[in-house]
Amino acid sequence: MRHGKYRFIIGFLAVPVALYAVLVISPFVQDFQISLTDWSGLTPEKHYIGFDNYQKIIHNNLFWKALWHNILMLLIVPIVTLALGLFFAFMLNVGGRRKGSASVAGVRGAGFYKIVYFFPQVLSVTVIAVLWQQIYNPDPDDGLLNSLLGHVGLTSLQQSWLGDPSIALACIMAVMVWANVGFYVVLFSAGMASIPAEIYEAVLLDGANRITTFFRITLPLLRDTVATGWVYMGIIAMDGFAFVQLMSVNNGGPNEVTDVVPLLLYKTAFRDNSQYGMAAAMGVAMLIVTLVFAVLTLRLSRRERIEF
Amino acid sequence: MTAETVDSTPGPAPQGSPPKPAPDAAAKHRWRGEGIVLNVFSHGFLWVWTLMVGVPLLWALWSSFKTSGDILAHPWSLPTHPHFDSWSRAWTKAHMGRYFINTVIVVGFSTAGTMLFGSMAAYVLARFEFFGNRFIYFLFVGGMAFPVVMVLVPLFFVTKNLGILNTLPGLILVYIAYSLPFTVFFMTSFFRTLPTSVAEAALVDGASHTRTFFQIMVPMAKPGIISIGIFNILGQWNQYLLPLVLNQGNTDKWVLTQGLADLAVQQGYQGDWSGLFAGLSIAMLPVLAVYVIFQRQVQAGLTAGAVK
Amino acid sequence: MGPQFNRRDAIKRALAIGVVAIPSASLLSACASDSGSDKPDKPAATGAKSASNPLGVKKGAPLEAFIFKGGFGDDYVKAAEQVYNSEYGIKVKHTGTQGLGPKLQPRFASNTPPDVMDNSGADNLDTAALAKENKLQDLTPLLDAPTVDDPSKKVRDVLIAGTIEQGQFGTQAMYALNYAFTVYGGWYSSKLFKEKGWEYPQTFDQAIALGAKAKKENISLFTYPGKYPYYVHFDLLAQIGKVGGKEVLNAIDDLEDGAWQVDAVKQVIGYYEELAAKKYFMPGSEGMTHIQMQTAWTKGKAAIVADGSWVENEAAPTMPKDFDLAVGPLVGSGPSDKLPFGTIYAAAGEPYIVAANGKNPVGGMELLRIMLSKKETDNFTNTTKSLTCVTGAADGLSLTPGLASASAALKAAGPNVLNSRLQDWYVKLNQETLGNLTLQLLTGKINAAKWIEGAQKAADATKNDSSVPKFKHV
Repeated sequence: MRHGKYRFIIGFLAVPVALYAVLVISPFVQDFQISLTDWSGLTPEKHYIGFDNYQKIIHNNLFWKALWHNILMLLIVPIVTLALGLFFAFMLNVGGRRKGSASVAGVRGAGFYKIVYFFPQVLSVTVIAVLWQQIYNPDPDDGLLNSLLGHVGLTSLQQSWLGDPSIALACIMAVMVWANVGFYVVLFSAGMASIPAEIYEAVLLDGANRITTFFRITLPLLRDTVATGWVYMGIIAMDGFAFVQLMSVNNGGPNEVTDVVPLLLYKTAFRDNSQYGMAAAMGVAMLIVTLVFAVLTLRLSRRERIEF
Repeated sequence: MTAETVDSTPGPAPQGSPPKPAPDAAAKHRWRGEGIVLNVFSHGFLWVWTLMVGVPLLWALWSSFKTSGDILAHPWSLPTHPHFDSWSRAWTKAHMGRYFINTVIVVGFSTAGTMLFGSMAAYVLARFEFFGNRFIYFLFVGGMAFPVVMVLVPLFFVTKNLGILNTLPGLILVYIAYSLPFTVFFMTSFFRTLPTSVAEAALVDGASHTRTFFQIMVPMAKPGIISIGIFNILGQWNQYLLPLVLNQGNTDKWVLTQGLADLAVQQGYQGDWSGLFAGLSIAMLPVLAVYVIFQRQVQAGLTAGAVK
Repeated sequence: MGPQFNRRDAIKRALAIGVVAIPSASLLSACASDSGSDKPDKPAATGAKSASNPLGVKKGAPLEAFIFKGGFGDDYVKAAEQVYNSEYGIKVKHTGTQGLGPKLQPRFASNTPPDVMDNSGADNLDTAALAKENKLQDLTPLLDAPTVDDPSKKVRDVLIAGTIEQGQFGTQAMYALNYAFTVYGGWYSSKLFKEKGWEYPQTFDQAIALGAKAKKENISLFTYPGKYPYYVHFDLLAQIGKVGGKEVLNAIDDLEDGAWQVDAVKQVIGYYEELAAKKYFMPGSEGMTHIQMQTAWTKGKAAIVADGSWVENEAAPTMPKDFDLAVGPLVGSGPSDKLPFGTIYAAAGEPYIVAANGKNPVGGMELLRIMLSKKETDNFTNTTKSLTCVTGAADGLSLTPGLASASAALKAAGPNVLNSRLQDWYVKLNQETLGNLTLQLLTGKINAAKWIEGAQKAADATKNDSSVPKFKHV
């Protein structure tokens, strides 16, 4: 039995751990080593320079600025996406007029909404960026958003969107939310559909309205699902640099208000005099910040029985 | 629809779920009044989001039938006489068909592989105590915080040394490796929530660990496997950076995101907008069709996994 | 027992491939010392030199071309490859793509680069850094080889003046052959100007007066793509050179102390401040891509755009048939300028580079020699509506309106052709740091003094940054 157990454990772990070690861990270890060098990424030569790159990063204002934007994204994008996902899912499942004796009902056409909302999920980021660049086009005739605002008489709300430093980052985050909400609507409404209606009927007696129902019943029951979504959205938000790279003006502009660390890293590694060593150091620094952040979030959200 | 299944669904009772007397008429009436307001309100919001999602996509679709000059000069106009040449251009010149097949192959194998290896590792980590268990677990979980952009160059060398650079199997292995952290993280917590008694009984009956896993645990974990699998399918389908760097060889082996990125960049220089929109429609429509056909199954899978 | 050990061995072996292959002492040696078949120390292919094969290309030796596929497409390279194929009995391996940086960098680092590359477009590799790291073949043998069309002429004798300098990075060696010749300036519709009875402005004052006239007609004088603010610098930098002379521009390129704090800079930036204050830039430009801005311009919402001669090809889908595209030379202060009206900014672009440690550098140079032949330059000009770096290559061809105008402007300018090297020597400084300042200047968020202060600070920071390779005019 014992022997069998260890053989089984090793047998089951061998392939995943090997794959992971070779393709994920080893490149990261290499990256850490590279971060201690002045490697350009272009030649086999490199020299160890200790922690010089890290020292430079600490004094690099742009790095901190970019990191702050990352943290903003990490906080705002998942919250807004999940909140909208929950809101729409709740509307779909509980927002409808009741029929017969049922105390809660979904809205009519819930299936239709769930199909439409899912659409952006099948688009790749390049396509989303191209689409939204047309939407955000500041031209009052050609830009979808501005011409829409013009048609309904809200000319004063017309903006240069991605070109306006005060809203550019918000514009990009809005696209990230847009692209991801649909999946969570489907995910959460699947969860809500499996909550027995009796539970709703029970709180009804307590004189609860739908809003308190949501917070007292729906949310606690969907806790695990929301947590899963939270982590996944966190990963997406961190990788959100593709959105910034493709959409922002002047590569993280205007005036650096949309720059994020992965984009800075990308530019440093592949463009600005090919400083791969420096870029690797940025990656390591960001990794450390993210890990701290992740541990904190998990600590804060870990209560009750959810075991991470 | 929820109400009908109430009686037959035992459903997991929330902690401290109250007794369930029939709601009295007054409370029901209050809900009804509120329901009408909420109904209008929820339909309003749901429609706003429907338009936000639907209009850009319909716009892209109908634009693919216009000429490039028309798209830019009169973005809102309907196609005067449909041009299908952009579709044939996207299909033949931009090889969208071939990329589509490649993507299906890559995502099919990599999602299957991810779920197989991820579940195997997660099961062992969740159910067996052995030296190094926590270490391996945190190694996997930590991977969620790794920004992929940081490892591109080292990963390029690792795959090159293994001889899997610019090959579809190589891409599959890389996708699996980078999907493992999220998968292991959630499948581990999922396996922990499953009852142990069935598996123990099977072991006592003389079944091997391997057999117990595949014949008993996997069917029990099916809801979790399906919902995490859907996360992975979507994530891998839209993967953008990894193929860009690791699969840049022969265009015969490109995946959709590469083809679309190529079209998107190309459009920036040559202004072939109708080709771009046709390509995007080709990429988008089959996936949407698949989703529409299988949405019940997808939702059923998610439902089962959503509330434990 | 047995299988268990085997599995362990398998894990070990798998780990060894990934992890142990990077000995920490010299980790990059791992990158260089891979598979073996394509070791860099393998001698490059060479063959016997002859009159028809002056560079000594080895017949049958493979050649790989990695070409940026942007506004010019890559068909013109494929056409030249056809010639190469039939001449040397091999099929050139061709890749036409974009975003070359992340794709090429690992290949350079592993010493397996393609032989010849068109390192252009967004996200390209830093040519300056490649030159600095000795990754590029000195193209002097190509310059000294006879041309395809006339064996009595050397390649260096047929290139437009400035092409060789454009490929130099602080030494006499030429590392990049910039194939396309671009004329920059204020692009406008002659038809619109004729209709409205406008004259292309020669001085800042005239431009501002024209701006007022245009505004009455609900047309903005200028537009620019906020996504790529360095488009504005095509005019702005060259205007500094026109007002203050080439030395002023060279001092800026050389990152000299106080180079931005001279009177010429103040005059030019002051002009932009005034244009911004009077709102002569098309509103919303700051949030537009180059395509969006060009579309608005071809619709007649803005009169003039600072752009390169590629705009004719790029804006073709929306440009009305009777647009009658033309380019105007640099606008300056007036007679006090060091250089007369008619001075233009023109430079060779599309840097073709040959890898120094590729498998067939000679073949790479030969492909470039073929591309410089009359047949191929004619093909390029006809299909892309652009000039090449070969003198008089466009002679005798029927040119489109924009190209004819650019060609005439280039002729009229004579020796008064300016070129700012800041754009390829210090990409980040020009595009991002100065680009951000320019965006703010044009949207009225900062004034000229602030722009100049910021530019000087950024130039000084670049100068003091040891990680940035420095170049000087020779």
